[in-house]
Amino acid sequence: MDTLLQVDNLAVRFGPVQAVKWVSFALGRGETLGIVGESGSGKSTLLWALTRLLPETAAINSGEVWFDSEDLLRLPPDRLRALRGTRISYISQDPMTSLAPGLTIGQQMMDVLHREPWSAREKRARAIDALEWVSLPDPARRMEMYPHELSGGQRQRVSIAMALMLGPDLLLADEPTTALDATLEVEVLDLLKRLQRETGCAVIFVSHHLGTVATLCDRVMVMKDGEIREDGSVAQVFTRPEDDYTARLLRCDPARIIEPTRRLPTMADAPAATAAAVVGPAGRVKGSESPILAVSDLFVTFHRGGFLPAAIGGAVERIHAVRQVSFSISKGETLALIGESGSGKSSVARSILGLVRPDAGTIRLGERELTKADRGGWQAARGEVSMMFQDPAGSLSPRRTLAEQVVEPLIVHGRRAEATRAKAVELLTLAGLDSRFADRYPHELSGGQARRAGIARALAMSPRLIVADEPTAGLDVSVQGEVINLLNDLQERLGLSILLITHNMAIVRHAADRVAVMLKGQIVETGPTARIFAAPEHDYTARLIAAAHHDLPTHESA
Amino acid sequence: MFGYILRRIALGCAVLLLAISTLYVIVQAAPGDPASAMLGPKATPAIKAAFAEKLGLDKPMPVQIVRYVGSVLSGDLGTDLRSRRPVTEVLAAHAPYTVELILASLLIAAGLGIPLGCAAAVRRNSLFDQAIGLLSVSLISVPPVIIAIYGMLLFSAALGWLPAIGAGVGEGLGSRLHHLILPAIAVGIGWVGYIARLVRASMIEVLSANYIRNARAFGLPELRIVYRYALRTAVAPTITVLGVGVGYMLGSAVFAEIVFARPGIGKLMYDAVILRNYPVTLGAVLAATALLVAATTLADILNALIDPRFKESRE
Repeated sequence: MDTLLQVDNLAVRFGPVQAVKWVSFALGRGETLGIVGESGSGKSTLLWALTRLLPETAAINSGEVWFDSEDLLRLPPDRLRALRGTRISYISQDPMTSLAPGLTIGQQMMDVLHREPWSAREKRARAIDALEWVSLPDPARRMEMYPHELSGGQRQRVSIAMALMLGPDLLLADEPTTALDATLEVEVLDLLKRLQRETGCAVIFVSHHLGTVATLCDRVMVMKDGEIREDGSVAQVFTRPEDDYTARLLRCDPARIIEPTRRLPTMADAPAATAAAVVGPAGRVKGSESPILAVSDLFVTFHRGGFLPAAIGGAVERIHAVRQVSFSISKGETLALIGESGSGKSSVARSILGLVRPDAGTIRLGERELTKADRGGWQAARGEVSMMFQDPAGSLSPRRTLAEQVVEPLIVHGRRAEATRAKAVELLTLAGLDSRFADRYPHELSGGQARRAGIARALAMSPRLIVADEPTAGLDVSVQGEVINLLNDLQERLGLSILLITHNMAIVRHAADRVAVMLKGQIVETGPTARIFAAPEHDYTARLIAAAHHDLPTHESA
Repeated sequence: MFGYILRRIALGCAVLLLAISTLYVIVQAAPGDPASAMLGPKATPAIKAAFAEKLGLDKPMPVQIVRYVGSVLSGDLGTDLRSRRPVTEVLAAHAPYTVELILASLLIAAGLGIPLGCAAAVRRNSLFDQAIGLLSVSLISVPPVIIAIYGMLLFSAALGWLPAIGAGVGEGLGSRLHHLILPAIAVGIGWVGYIARLVRASMIEVLSANYIRNARAFGLPELRIVYRYALRTAVAPTITVLGVGVGYMLGSAVFAEIVFARPGIGKLMYDAVILRNYPVTLGAVLAATALLVAATTLADILNALIDPRFKESRE
């Protein structure tokens, strides 16, 4: 195999932390290498170190990175810059922040061509060609647009077009699909596959998502604590992992467990243990009693101000976020509300919590009619519904300890006397943390621990219903199972009802009793989880399920 | 975009109307009575009453306010009690000197502060950055009056390079600019430090953004990254602060105009307060308020023009 990139003993340090530990590997021309690992495994650091684009706080201790007989780590800055964008290109993680907000798409794409001796007209034509190539509709008009005028998927197409304009030999992709919805992810992966086939450029694809790596790559490296734990063909690593860590990681991924279970395997379990199909105690769902939550014919409309204030005849744009949505949740039941960003599922949750005023419809929580509730009624209702926020670290105050924050709902509800440290420890213990965490601050927590703290706080008021907004978003697959297990366990012990809002189909299978699918503000399908997965009625539901499912490719090379 | 600008201007006018009413009440509530001040200690109560009646000071306060606002809107700010000229005429004669002083000070603050802050952010934690940090803090800490007096002593008295007093009234443009240098430095130099710190902080934040790393990953020249990609975004908070800064500069301008004997709004205001010349005091404060409202409105509009996210409603 013709070697394009040869990395020898590369080591990178962030202050006292050795993030990448003397890593060596080689990449052939036209090869597609996936690097998987949990957050903090050093995979992105490794990628950015290759062309010295690390943040200032990082330092490369040692190593050589040979790219076509040139050591990138020792190349003068000018020579290195000449390689960037021409022979080595990038696609970075978050399409919402990877394009400059103040410049048009066209300006930014033409800037990438700044070294070429072409006229502005020619550069423009090249840029439009590239946008056409990534199937962006109406490319000439998009050139004049600013990034905020495009959707996330469109922006990621622009990033890909930018990366390929000059026909690079090597493409470095840092989690290019992580911030996208499942169906968009499939589209972008298809695009990357086509690109790789048509241009023949080598790709290093970093992801924490095992499924996407399996779909796209020939070869995969597994990283853990800055070391390469396993390196082999996709077929070998995914079917016969040699490393214990790899085996655990693969086994934990909720997406790879087809049989529904309320106890997902975790990293701590022995690899030999098989995932048992656990259904939980019989009679958990009290379907015969009147429902905890009943939403009927809910409408939510947002108004966007136009040219002039409405009072003096200005046009106001109406956005129908939620249209005629009805559903109910029984005691002890989990209902999953699924759909992509913008489908209106968050607006439904916000209406239940009284953060958004619905235009029409009723929301009944137990015996209380929330849409007609006064201040006192809302105050009481908020003691019965708790929110588990999507961004757990962001929804905790960075300046207060967990003990102070976990019991805060009690103080807000005028039950200061109960807001003791003992109560805080009790709640933390319930959420699977212990008293050692009481005095910690949010920045000292991992993603999974912050999520648990969020659960502890949601339990403070002993609610009847928990609204869990994307409880696994941004979590490694190894921790997703733990969080789902905890929610399932708490439900069984406390008789909680849960409204699970997510676009992660993999966890829905293991946590939800019933599923409601939202599309463009409406519920297009409802049914028991098993039926939805086995025989989806709506085309969109089928697409969501297919998008979450990544087949193991049968590579000839394997 | 156009709608936003209109709304912003309408809001500015509303603020100004509120300010006019408030100002009128504050000035009237201040101790001392214009009739006694103007007519001298020997005026009889009858003469004073006649004088008050002539100015409408005997009416109830709400009536006075409405009358005052109405006359302001029709362009009548009353008559200068000293010179007997219309206040608008007096203001028109003084305003240009203050406006040019504020503009020159803004130019110094932004023209020096933005490049310094930008350079400090690009070479952050270097010796150069620390030197600029020290310079900034020193400039912020020295009161404008001190700079004015020592500047005068050094450049006018000792070196004779710059005129000490006056504004070059009735002379050519060159002389006017020459007279402007010292006062503008006195008013604006403190802001150089402030703006430099601000620009440095927002530049550092922007330079760590994803799209900056992306631009580097595509091999764009560093200068283009700094000016085209980073500074454009980083300069927005500075514009807002400079808009509000005009208010503070107006405060400093009062000192500067007194020290340098410039016939501006500040000097006019000072003299009118001493003499309890109500119409002129009100007019001068009003002019200063209008200047401040105009500056903040302009800053908002400028920010909207820079930020493409506002262009959504252009169609």
